[in-house]
Amino acid sequence: MKTRNYFSWMVIVILTCGAAVGARAQEAAPAANATGTIPVTTQSTLAANAYEMGLVQREDRLFVDEGLEFFRQAVKADPQFALGHAALGYFTADPKEAKQEGALALKFIDNASPDEQLLIRWMNSTKNGETVVAISAMNDLLAKYPTDKRWGNMAAEWLCANQGANERGEAVLVRLLKNDPRYYPAINNLAYCYALSGQAQLAPALMEQYVAALPNEPNPQDSYGEIMRMLGDYPAALEHYQKALAINPHFNASQAGVASTYALMGDERKARTQYLVAIQGTKERSTQIGYRILYAMTYYRENKPRLAREEFEKVDAEAHAAGLTVQEAEIHRAMALFNPDAASALKDLDEAREDLSDTRKSNLLPGDRDNELALILQARVFIAVNAAKTEAAQATLKLLENMAQTSRSTPVQAAFHSANGAVLYLQGDYAGAIAELEEDPQNPLSLQLQAAAQTKAGQTAEARKTLETLAAISDERMETALAAPPARLALKHDATRPAQGGAN
Amino acid sequence: MGKNAMRNRLWIVCVLVLSVASVAFGTDYAIVVNPANPARAMSLVELAKIFKAKTTIWPDGKGITLVLREPNSPGTKFILERVLGGTFDEEKAVLNDPSRKTTVPVVFAESDDEVMRIVGGNAGAIGVIDVYNITGGVKVVKIDDKQPFDPGYILKGR
Repeated sequence: MKTRNYFSWMVIVILTCGAAVGARAQEAAPAANATGTIPVTTQSTLAANAYEMGLVQREDRLFVDEGLEFFRQAVKADPQFALGHAALGYFTADPKEAKQEGALALKFIDNASPDEQLLIRWMNSTKNGETVVAISAMNDLLAKYPTDKRWGNMAAEWLCANQGANERGEAVLVRLLKNDPRYYPAINNLAYCYALSGQAQLAPALMEQYVAALPNEPNPQDSYGEIMRMLGDYPAALEHYQKALAINPHFNASQAGVASTYALMGDERKARTQYLVAIQGTKERSTQIGYRILYAMTYYRENKPRLAREEFEKVDAEAHAAGLTVQEAEIHRAMALFNPDAASALKDLDEAREDLSDTRKSNLLPGDRDNELALILQARVFIAVNAAKTEAAQATLKLLENMAQTSRSTPVQAAFHSANGAVLYLQGDYAGAIAELEEDPQNPLSLQLQAAAQTKAGQTAEARKTLETLAAISDERMETALAAPPARLALKHDATRPAQGGAN
Repeated sequence: MGKNAMRNRLWIVCVLVLSVASVAFGTDYAIVVNPANPARAMSLVELAKIFKAKTTIWPDGKGITLVLREPNSPGTKFILERVLGGTFDEEKAVLNDPSRKTTVPVVFAESDDEVMRIVGGNAGAIGVIDVYNITGGVKVVKIDDKQPFDPGYILKGR
């Protein structure tokens, strides 16, 4: 494996050339200006090297856990390494570690050069939800270090993945690639940005470059497969997933990719076989449960609701035993969305809310809880609206409104506006409903109702366009499984009215 | 190795869930002043008074200059309607009133960068820009105790 050898050598070179790197680290600012990268200030050679390796793993190779380990080594080698603490706090998924490391970064921030201090502020602010501070620091650093590839890529990823500011992220990535057309982490991110911002046709060419840059790594092929699946080109998706598995047969994400592609193609039996392989191929309990949920969904896709419910109940018991609260809630939400009986579906959602309110669960992050709770309440409003249960819909909407008034979370905001749109639809205010549903444009259920509202409002052409958008969505989500097939059917029959069905 | 792809999947999920931000919420507009200006917050009513040239100086006595993008740009249209509450044509007339030159002059800039350059170089200037363009050269002022991205922020674009 040529590429892996290359990375192994890189580790050795970086870790054994400590003296030179360390000297540069101590005189960080002048060296940084010379190389066009943000300076790194630490008194420890080992810390500087470990920080660099953290970036190699996390940013260049996309190996998240390995990168984190190097950042941990960096702050262990130099406990007063402010940027090291900030990077660990920024990249970790553990909220406790993030909070602790962010505080340590601020404690030792005077040890860092002025531009590092800006980077530390950006990292901390993005984690703390201080978006205005983060944007200001980001723009200052992007202007001062236009050729710092890692920094630009990191900022662009935040813009696209966390802020949904795809065009801005794309602009940063395009500029980076103009300076270095072979910088593959940016190629990968740009492809994803394009695929999700209405310029999907530009993504495959970038994926070709990514694959060519790392021919012996499975991830580029896996990414390529995922992009092609999103574009609805299932044979191409399967081909790339298989190539990833040929490079590394244990690359389980591609195994799951194969399964989901078969599920989207309608070959549910084959999908289940492949999901079982993926489930057996992972030791991560949460990942296993995630695949089990997808496995259960294949029965719904086959219109076998009883078998699906039985599967979901089994997975629910396992998720409960494993203490995976959000997954438990997600399972109940799925059962509700696929439940043809409104009263029973609302009971499923009550159980989902109970899952989240179990305060004994220590692994539940407030952000995760709020986002899942918002989706549960949104589903409750949709189900109540479809069953013309006005009182239930309005009471649930009030709960979501209270959440939206205090939460900056985009999913919470989107869920509230969408649910408000559903209630307005029920009240016959179709113009109001359309405006609100447009705030949740990636949710298939919102798109479905938006098309219905547009039809009711006499906006036939717009309704068709919305249906086309919905029909083109190709992903594993339960909302997509519910709303996209009827939209495709409606379009096939050249109907301008949205398809019936969906949530309950 | 699997973590590599997992990260891509998380990326996708993030974007699927969060990309509504760019499409649905558009951008938030930020009210910015010179960093030397002690102002940190003001009400929408106070901001409207500046736009209407009814408030002409800051509390420290410095004259106010209003810096906006071209009057026909979608952003300025949105801001005028939100801040002044009337129709765009009515509010444009308020900005173009010749008597303003001696009260609160209005400078129209061609870009957000130019808005920031003017505000950064004029201690009495107040400007409006897309929040994604702010830099350390200007200071963001809260409106009705809210800043961009806060729930209920009045200058949230669509």
